Amino acid sequence: MCCCPTNPDNEHPQEPGLLVDLAGNANMRFFDPHIHMTSRTTDDYQAMADAGIVAIIEPAFWLGQARTGIDSFRDYYSSLIGWERFRSSQFGIKHYCTIGLNSREANNEKLAEQVMEILPSFVYKEGVVGIGEIGYDDQTAAEDKYYRLQLDLAKEAELPVQVHTPHRDKKQGTQRSMDIALEHGLEPHMVIIDHNNEETVKDVLDRGFWAAFTIYPFTKMGNERMVEIIKQYGTERIIINSAADWGISDPLAVPKTAALMKVQGISKEDIELVTYRNAITAFGQSGQIQEEDFSSVSGIDQSQKFEGNTILRGGQQPRIDKSSIIIR
Amino acid sequence: MEDKGKLLRSLLVPIIKRQVPTVTFNWLEEKSKLINEESGTSVLNASFSAVPRKAGRAITDISQSEIDQIVEQFNGFMIEGWAIDRVCRLYLVASINSDENIYSEKVEGLFRDAEMNELSALYSFLPVLHYPESWILRTAEGIRSNIGTVLEAIMYQNSYPFQYLPEPSWNQLVLKAFFTDKDVNRIVGLDERANKPLASVLVDYAHERQAAHRTVNPQLWRLVCKFIDEKNISDIEKLFEDAHITERRAAVLACYHSNYEPARRLVEKEPAILEDVKSNKLNWSSL
Repeated sequence: MCCCPTNPDNEHPQEPGLLVDLAGNANMRFFDPHIHMTSRTTDDYQAMADAGIVAIIEPAFWLGQARTGIDSFRDYYSSLIGWERFRSSQFGIKHYCTIGLNSREANNEKLAEQVMEILPSFVYKEGVVGIGEIGYDDQTAAEDKYYRLQLDLAKEAELPVQVHTPHRDKKQGTQRSMDIALEHGLEPHMVIIDHNNEETVKDVLDRGFWAAFTIYPFTKMGNERMVEIIKQYGTERIIINSAADWGISDPLAVPKTAALMKVQGISKEDIELVTYRNAITAFGQSGQIQEEDFSSVSGIDQSQKFEGNTILRGGQQPRIDKSSIIIR
Repeated sequence: MEDKGKLLRSLLVPIIKRQVPTVTFNWLEEKSKLINEESGTSVLNASFSAVPRKAGRAITDISQSEIDQIVEQFNGFMIEGWAIDRVCRLYLVASINSDENIYSEKVEGLFRDAEMNELSALYSFLPVLHYPESWILRTAEGIRSNIGTVLEAIMYQNSYPFQYLPEPSWNQLVLKAFFTDKDVNRIVGLDERANKPLASVLVDYAHERQAAHRTVNPQLWRLVCKFIDEKNISDIEKLFEDAHITERRAAVLACYHSNYEPARRLVEKEPAILEDVKSNKLNWSSL
């Protein structure tokens, strides 16, 4: 979306020197461990590949409206390990996912029961790097019930957990998410607490959990605040993601934040930790992430050829010339 | 059916044993036994998914005599070039021991919940799945996929479509192969199943491409040559005027294999190419 500097609604007009310039990121690679590509276009995939994103995790989530039958869930999970994975590979981006029942839809108990029955068929699939995103939204009894059941499933499957923390009553909700995880015998290093902010970060880190931050305009974190958090808390167990979805969000949030950190004097090593390495360490505990798959995206199948052409390297999908009104 | 499964497993054992650690092979054996005995699908579904984390995904080292043995015992079935996870998955599927309805339900369940690699694996198993008539609709559905690897699993080195697909589905497969730039030389039975409706659809497809100023895969004429007639001979005549040698070669090949007299006479336009065709220096596979 284009921001017009004269728009009175725009609280932060573009400052000189901070126009999008990712040249400083040259030779860096990024891992966005939370992004809902189902809701994004091929233009996004192309831009992400160009900006250095080599791998992503797509957590199972709420699609913007409630599903009414079990087959909708089955087809959704199946698309995360099928079509979306293939679509991503066409742009040279390695696609992983986490599988789970999101908190909102946990409130439809009848359906939630059925979802719990099919989850075991999906969590052991190749490239499933965790149970997620699960946790609390309204913090209802039903949400609590299915959060707990899925923590048990994660423990059984020895998979990390990607925990969504609520927008409302966030501090309480975050505390409670961690308490319950410990109560169910999960080790803090197997749990990634997502959507942190200045209010929650200290506690999450002190208790040994991973702290993920979502750079999402207007509603979650801005990346200037993110830089301040890195300055204050360092880089250990801190992860940055975009959580880009069907809302006004930014699939380039991770590389943009890396560029901003560089401008603000954060070291290259530290930038690499929070935009790449830490996510791999955290979700790699699933045993499902091989870095050598990133550069070739051939981990899916060594003999793989992509739809309609025989490319094996990323970023080589045919391009459309966006500067022309001619479409061939 | 159980005998066929047993035979296939016994042929796979030395290949798998050589490729994976003993602990992985023991795991596979144990799951195979349980799958063989279970009435439900819980062991089958979970172990089928878990194979790559146990066995890895390296390309399998298979000797020529092992390939030949399987080809001979299983009607041309080819596992050459497969990754080890696919071979192990075949081993598990070959362990299913149920009567027709239950067997079909179990395998269909694997298809339904499959991720991308599993789906490709399952389609490549088509020639050795029991009750072959049960997989016709499933295969037609696979041809509708837009996932390249899935299409290739059905199209390449796979004798099932050739043997079992009804003509409309077969034609869909061939058309889609051209549409998605596949190597049609690897489609089993391509020439044997050439037919008039397919030739006519392919000629239309060629016209569409030409109207859009796009190239036409010259292999397409291979499926038209037996059906050249007064309606489409002008397409072949145009090929002889093409600046590219490959198109002119395709033109000579098409006319050489045609039974339509006016087409057969056209070969004289390219005597040098004709010589290569006559001496088999040039054929459709080498084109």
